[in-house]
Amino acid sequence: MSYLDNIRNFSIIAHIDHGKSTLADRLIEKTGLVEARDMKEQYLDNMDIERERGITIKLQTTRLKYQAKDGQEYILNLIDTPGHVDFNYEVSRSLAACDGAVLVVDATQGVEAQTLGNVYLALDEDLEIMPVLNKMDLDSARPADARAEIEDIIGLDASEAPEISAKTGMGIDEMLEKLVEVIPPPKGDPDGKLKALIFDSYYDSYKGVIIYTRIFDGRVRKGDVIRMMNTGKNYEVTEVGYCIPGTVPSDELKAGEVGYICGSIKQVADARVGDTITLASDPAEEPLKGYKKAQSMVYCGIFPAEGEKYENVKDALEKLQVNDAAFNFEPENSAALGYGFRCGFLGLLHMDVITERLAREFDLDIITTLPSVVYKVVMKDGSVLDIQNPSNLPDPILISRIEEPIVKADIMTPNDYVGSIMTLCQNRRGKMIHMEYLTKTRVQLHYEMPLNEVIYDFFDALKSRTRGYASLDYEFLRYQPAKLVKLDILLNREQIDALSTIVPEEEAMAKGRGICEKLKDIIPRHQFEVPIQAAIGQKIIARETVRAYRKDVLAKCYGGDVSRKKKLLEKQKAGKKRMRQFGQVTVPQEAFTEVLKLDDGK
Amino acid sequence: MIKKTGLYIHIPFCVRKCNYCAFLSFDAETSPRKEYTDALVNEITYRGEQLGHPEIDTVYVGGGTPSVLDISQMRDIMHAVCKSFRVKEGAEITIEANPATLGRKDGVMLAKLQAYRFMGFNRLSMGVQAMDNDRLHYMGRLHTAENVVRDMELIRRKGFDNVNLDLMFSIPGETTEDALSDLERILGLDPEHISCYSLQIEEGTPFGDMAEAGELTEVPDEEDRRTYHEICRVLREAGYEHYEISNFAKPGFRSRHNSLYWDMSDYIGVGLGASGFTDGRRYKNISDIEAYIEAFAKLPEEGGRIEIPLEEDHLNSSFDNISEAVFTGLRRSEGISYEEALDAYMRCAEGPMHEDPQAAFWRIFAEAKEEAEDYVRRGLLIIDDKGLKLTEQGIDISNQIMSLFV
Repeated sequence: MSYLDNIRNFSIIAHIDHGKSTLADRLIEKTGLVEARDMKEQYLDNMDIERERGITIKLQTTRLKYQAKDGQEYILNLIDTPGHVDFNYEVSRSLAACDGAVLVVDATQGVEAQTLGNVYLALDEDLEIMPVLNKMDLDSARPADARAEIEDIIGLDASEAPEISAKTGMGIDEMLEKLVEVIPPPKGDPDGKLKALIFDSYYDSYKGVIIYTRIFDGRVRKGDVIRMMNTGKNYEVTEVGYCIPGTVPSDELKAGEVGYICGSIKQVADARVGDTITLASDPAEEPLKGYKKAQSMVYCGIFPAEGEKYENVKDALEKLQVNDAAFNFEPENSAALGYGFRCGFLGLLHMDVITERLAREFDLDIITTLPSVVYKVVMKDGSVLDIQNPSNLPDPILISRIEEPIVKADIMTPNDYVGSIMTLCQNRRGKMIHMEYLTKTRVQLHYEMPLNEVIYDFFDALKSRTRGYASLDYEFLRYQPAKLVKLDILLNREQIDALSTIVPEEEAMAKGRGICEKLKDIIPRHQFEVPIQAAIGQKIIARETVRAYRKDVLAKCYGGDVSRKKKLLEKQKAGKKRMRQFGQVTVPQEAFTEVLKLDDGK
Repeated sequence: MIKKTGLYIHIPFCVRKCNYCAFLSFDAETSPRKEYTDALVNEITYRGEQLGHPEIDTVYVGGGTPSVLDISQMRDIMHAVCKSFRVKEGAEITIEANPATLGRKDGVMLAKLQAYRFMGFNRLSMGVQAMDNDRLHYMGRLHTAENVVRDMELIRRKGFDNVNLDLMFSIPGETTEDALSDLERILGLDPEHISCYSLQIEEGTPFGDMAEAGELTEVPDEEDRRTYHEICRVLREAGYEHYEISNFAKPGFRSRHNSLYWDMSDYIGVGLGASGFTDGRRYKNISDIEAYIEAFAKLPEEGGRIEIPLEEDHLNSSFDNISEAVFTGLRRSEGISYEEALDAYMRCAEGPMHEDPQAAFWRIFAEAKEEAEDYVRRGLLIIDDKGLKLTEQGIDISNQIMSLFV
């Protein structure tokens, strides 16, 4: 019997909110690695933002020991996956490191769009999938319905799916027994040439980049010189070990095992997820399949707010990049906002997370501009430009055509909401490809939509129209020509480059009007009237006016309460700091991000 | 410049709370007026002792509605003041009153006013607010315009020759013309001093609730400012000096007590929620009436101490001082001089100042300079070699200008 027989490498896959992190917590607690009293809520979600939003962005991997009823001790490597559509590639690489997956289905909700999306990713990696029904402690649990949905919608046999409650711990022992039985042990040759998959990495200020890896063949020790097969870079291994959790050094890592490798690597981009590690002295012939370069789908400008230093923002961005291979940035200069950075993200959530970390962890005062996708601009001379900053769009006379990214959007919903979702998607230039009745009451809609329409609050609009019942999954499909124009915004007759957007020609009028109305509410009154105009080229297509500000005076200093008055003035001063001066027009920071959150429900 | 000291005494009771009022005040009928008075007397006695019985230049009894207290209660308070502080000869001693709260019958009213004279009050401030009965009713005021006229007659008969009348404008539904007609009627009463405030709708008041429910339309800023500037003009023409944002006085009748708040003088605040500025500290008494009464239920034994319960207690830094000097000073028509600002700055500093006040001022507020000059260009602020002052247009957005200096 090989040591491999006692290893199980698995992930937990679930729709957001279906209890993945809670289940992971319970497993860690059950297998005795972390004392119950040391458990933070949801151990694996180790960033504050993740815990607040109930989502997992950065992966955490944990090695658990389980004494099974057959008398054997098993090593269970739990490989966590990020739980959001922006991180599909990262999810797929984590799954590639596994031999099986536990599919958590909320017994009160049933199967959701992301459940299906993640199951398909797991099936693509040939994983054995073990369904479990969670939240069985709730009165609203409908296990029979959930089983039926798993069978009807996913096609997995769910008759033996354990019924558990990750919250109360009910059924966890049975689940672990089942897991050992159902999920196969890893295969691999410890004496073959080293092939190890990087499925995550993060930067540690003492050890450099820490690579999380699954060894498929061969072994790796301290002192070995390893090579990243896709980037071709070599590093000397300074430490290997297991994640128990944390990093606990060991002599070696060998085929079938999951652990970490350090090698004085300076930034995570040099140890890109999906790359294959081999030995420089005895390299494998072929890397593992599935490596992709990180590709930014969404861009926005990040600028230091009034009083914030450019250098501080730059330092923070560099620090974040060290730890996030999917995030990139370059310097940008805006007439309105000064020197800043153009930043690329995997998606909108990724963008939110980064900007929030800048504010929270680095205590920076920043202004973020409207997010934009990458347009392919085909010029009349035949050259193709990638444009992700609307202000860089060349003169329309020189342009032959503009292509925009289209995504495939899968929306799963109770059938009651089909009508309103169809209206929403239509408003967002969506094209329905197919509609499937998964069950009598559950429908899956397949749309093709411009990514541009998805990145602005589409998810929120979808949730609000379906009282939160609909779920969304999307992936990039192709570039497609579209009739697009640049919409400029002028404040007090001055163009504000940071407010320019690229919009479909036929919607320019409505969008322009919407933005002007929105700005009218956001921009505070001034001492003079401020015209707000939307323009395409030289042509003004919409106009609003912010009336002049007339009064900002506190009449009474009541009973000598100078402190109260002072607090009001201090508050006012702080508020002003958050604004920007354009000519003489003060624009609050939120104008740059709020402006396109137009409610198209009306 | 010799700094003066004032004493503010808070009486937190009203017959009825007005619809716009967010101030600390309780129902006069059902509240423990007697217990409060006793506690207040103890606080005055205690603070006087602690401060070493200082000389004071002004006394101001405000509220609330001080005139709802019984004569004997007010007398106890004023006696405590005289025992605990050295009230200067010629001090300005003000009492606030609301029309129709001095007594239902003329005889009672005259007696009360006479008693106030005996207690030493030589200035009376009356919350008239409007001279139109519909508007008074709408605001929740309990008096009529006729009451005001009658009260004023009796006040004058009792020898009060320094009277302030408060006027509010921008009451929902009111036009500039309405406000000016009220002002005309007030001028007909020939007060020495007039305070004009625009009504502010505060959260948690009946007006605030109405505004939230959409049942009340605030007077637009444009109308409010037009009214204000019209009022300034009319009063100027009637011979009143516009000496502070909201205050107008005949020559020689500026409020000496309120002026203390605007020139960084010391003032001692006593009573519930009262603010004070002494020994370089800004403090504010607690606002919980029961806790207040309990804290001052008894005076300590000879030489003993009371832990005075405070809501706020802040030792001002040099920057606090200059900053406050500037934004309170800017409320005055003469503005703030560099010299005065630097005096405030040097209060808690060691040694003398060797720098030129003007240079020092702009060194301290270097960051504000560019924006301040922008206000000058727009005709809202005047900066010269002496100091800074707002123009009448600048008053409209005075908060924005003042916030440069905090």
